[in-house]
Amino acid sequence: MSSSKDTIPSYMRTDSYLQTTLFNPSVPAAKAKDGISFIFGAEDFSHISLKPDHESRPLWISPVTGHITLEAFSPIAEQAQDFLIAISEPVSRPSHIHEYKLTPYSLYAAVSVGLETEDIIEVLNRLSKIQIPEQIVNLIRQCTFSYGKVKLVLKHNRYFVESSHPETLQKLLQDDIIAAARIINDESQDKYFLMKNKAPTAKDLVIPGKKIEDSLKSSDSMDIDTVDKNALPSSLSDASAENKNDEVKKRCNELDYPMLEEYDFRNDTTLASLDIDLRPITVIRPYQEKCLSKMFGNGRARSGIIVLPCGAGKTLVGITAACTIKKSCLVLCTSAVSVMQWKQQFLQWSNIRENQIAVFTSDQKEKFMGQSGIVISTYSMVANTRNRSYEATKMMDFIKGREWGFILLDEVHVVPAAMFRRVVTTIAAHTKLGLTATLVREDDKISDLNFLIGPKLYEANWMDLASKGHIANVQCAEVWCPMTPEFYREYLREASRKQLLLYVMNPRKFQVCQYLIRYHEERGDKIIVFSDNVYALEQYAIKMGVPFIHGKTASQERMRILQNFQHNPAVNTIFLSKVGDTSIDLPEATCLIQISSHYGSRRQEAQRLGRILRAKRRNDEGFNAFFYSLVSTDTQEMYYSTKRQQFLIDQGYAFKVITNLEGIDQADLAYKTKEEQLELLNSVLIANENAAEIDNDVEANVDDLPGTTTSRNFSRLPPFGNRVKRNVGSMRSLSGADHMAYKEYVRQAGSKKIKDKKDKKDKPEHHAFFKKHYYAKK
Amino acid sequence: MVKVIKGVLLQCDPTVKQVILNLDERDHFIIEDLDETHVFVEASCVEKVKKSLEDLLEENTYKFESQPPNNKD
Repeated sequence: MSSSKDTIPSYMRTDSYLQTTLFNPSVPAAKAKDGISFIFGAEDFSHISLKPDHESRPLWISPVTGHITLEAFSPIAEQAQDFLIAISEPVSRPSHIHEYKLTPYSLYAAVSVGLETEDIIEVLNRLSKIQIPEQIVNLIRQCTFSYGKVKLVLKHNRYFVESSHPETLQKLLQDDIIAAARIINDESQDKYFLMKNKAPTAKDLVIPGKKIEDSLKSSDSMDIDTVDKNALPSSLSDASAENKNDEVKKRCNELDYPMLEEYDFRNDTTLASLDIDLRPITVIRPYQEKCLSKMFGNGRARSGIIVLPCGAGKTLVGITAACTIKKSCLVLCTSAVSVMQWKQQFLQWSNIRENQIAVFTSDQKEKFMGQSGIVISTYSMVANTRNRSYEATKMMDFIKGREWGFILLDEVHVVPAAMFRRVVTTIAAHTKLGLTATLVREDDKISDLNFLIGPKLYEANWMDLASKGHIANVQCAEVWCPMTPEFYREYLREASRKQLLLYVMNPRKFQVCQYLIRYHEERGDKIIVFSDNVYALEQYAIKMGVPFIHGKTASQERMRILQNFQHNPAVNTIFLSKVGDTSIDLPEATCLIQISSHYGSRRQEAQRLGRILRAKRRNDEGFNAFFYSLVSTDTQEMYYSTKRQQFLIDQGYAFKVITNLEGIDQADLAYKTKEEQLELLNSVLIANENAAEIDNDVEANVDDLPGTTTSRNFSRLPPFGNRVKRNVGSMRSLSGADHMAYKEYVRQAGSKKIKDKKDKKDKPEHHAFFKKHYYAKK
Repeated sequence: MVKVIKGVLLQCDPTVKQVILNLDERDHFIIEDLDETHVFVEASCVEKVKKSLEDLLEENTYKFESQPPNNKD
């Protein structure tokens, strides 16, 4: 089941689809204009009349844009939410009013989890305060008309084309290519004979880890308002030859009947089963169960994406899914560090034997024992097209040469689309599950995912999880630190790279940081301070006498610092650079301070927040975790900071703006006097311009994706810059892409190095004895 | 001969004053730099200063509309 996924059907390709269908509104001309109509322009819907009992119905639908506004305080809001998540994309979910949007993708997803056109319209109508606008009904009909009518199901080791609409199958059979691929068992059989089967049910499938008392009501409890998925009278199927299934799939796309892929793993006998189960003590949480029931809704496995916040147990969802399918499984992650974390989690939550888990990274190439097992690797290892080592080639042949029951894609949102395509097409897998915390990308490649993996199956509501105690309650604050006049004067003069240093090193910001650390240490919090800028990180940490970790910190040192942070009550604060984002298995903390951050990355912001979401103390009454970002006012930082917050705001987090911290004037803080501040300014101004770089900290590891680099290689780097270093690079980046720059060095006769040596010669080395006494006196 | 220049006293916060000083380097409209928060400038250029100040500070404001509309899909 592989390559034909490349051809994206036309209607999936652009968002302009929605616009063309929606933006010629046939709005009745007789608009009752009133005094304030002009404010709303084309979006004045005052002519639409409310239903008489609108008060008990929770939602509005905008006829122009397809946006749905839900009153989250309505008594039936929870049921409405379940329904809306299934048919639309959540845009913004603060506590009282939610906003969703109907898109072709979301409707596609709705169909693929088994909802039918008429049911969607009917339920929507029941919940809506107004009659559903005609444009929206048309949109739903158009988008759901051809989607999901046909399924390609693998069972009893044959591919079946399945549909609950016999006329669709008849239509497909009239196509030559599809007819040719059909297997006809019996000569005498009528050409248009179709098999009739009972509709698949989830009755006897038990997702491991569910609490038993739940498993009865959970089977479809969330669908009360939607449809009974299993109510199809019967489904008709039509076997097709295995080797032709790609052709059939492609042809169906061309005919505008894109196929959904389902994997009937319980009836698959060719693929060796894997003996894996969750440990009896492992219990999954209700929302995790909900994701999984979407995935295994009709007893078969569907491909798709599950979105859960960081710290909400994505890994466990993945592992449970693997335990349900019980076939060979391939896990792909973004970095070598997370490969090891996955392995460890598999061993912790499931009863899999250690020799059945294999790890495939640049330094470890293992195969599992026996017929089936789990391989954990990174995207880059698998997608690599450059020369591989002999071992890696053999390992890849091993991976490519077998069929996988299940492929788990961790952090799907960070993988470049081209790399993804390569992964998905080279590996034969029956089910694909993508896991992610943030379905946002700074580029807009998200729609590719929809097509390459499958629809989004579930997206959790952060606020909901927080109120139920699954993730910590977080107070977010943006602290405004005014620039001192001297710093601001230089800021206005400098080129943009140096500007960054100036606003990060703003002495008022330093004071705020010091004050907050002191305040939270007294409360007994564990604090992580993030700075993407290594220069600032070192300056802050050294001045405050706090341990810090950045890319160049040796791994032993890192371990020592992290362990101290976790267990030593005297060490309550650490400073971390970008390495903390991905490459360190970070301890939990209860307070997070950001002093400088990577431009406008919303994903990074969310991921950092994840560090405090999993705090163990979260269930204590009135417990709050704190997330501060310190911003120098009147600088670019204001812009970036607001941009970064957008994602969290859409999840319902409110950022408080603190313009003045109480008591900061009385506190005894660094850089109080003008002289000290000027001294700091001087040292910032003479700092090397490279110090302003944000990415010079982490070194790419072969396994890592761009942007998620780890830095293990630093320990092996030579201590001086002038030794030879070997790096793997692509032609593209060597010729100047990826901000590569070359510099020419001329070593002159009287260079500093030689001078230094001379000086050393003149001054003979003192004996240790003299050193101790002579220098000590001084 | 007596030369008369009409002036305006501007009061602003310290950072904004730095911006004004920076603008002054190009146009020279400050008559007297008084203290951290006050400058005395030529009356004729007040409007111009106000405008360029606004533009400058606007650059650092994130506007929701500036986002591409469909980037969540």
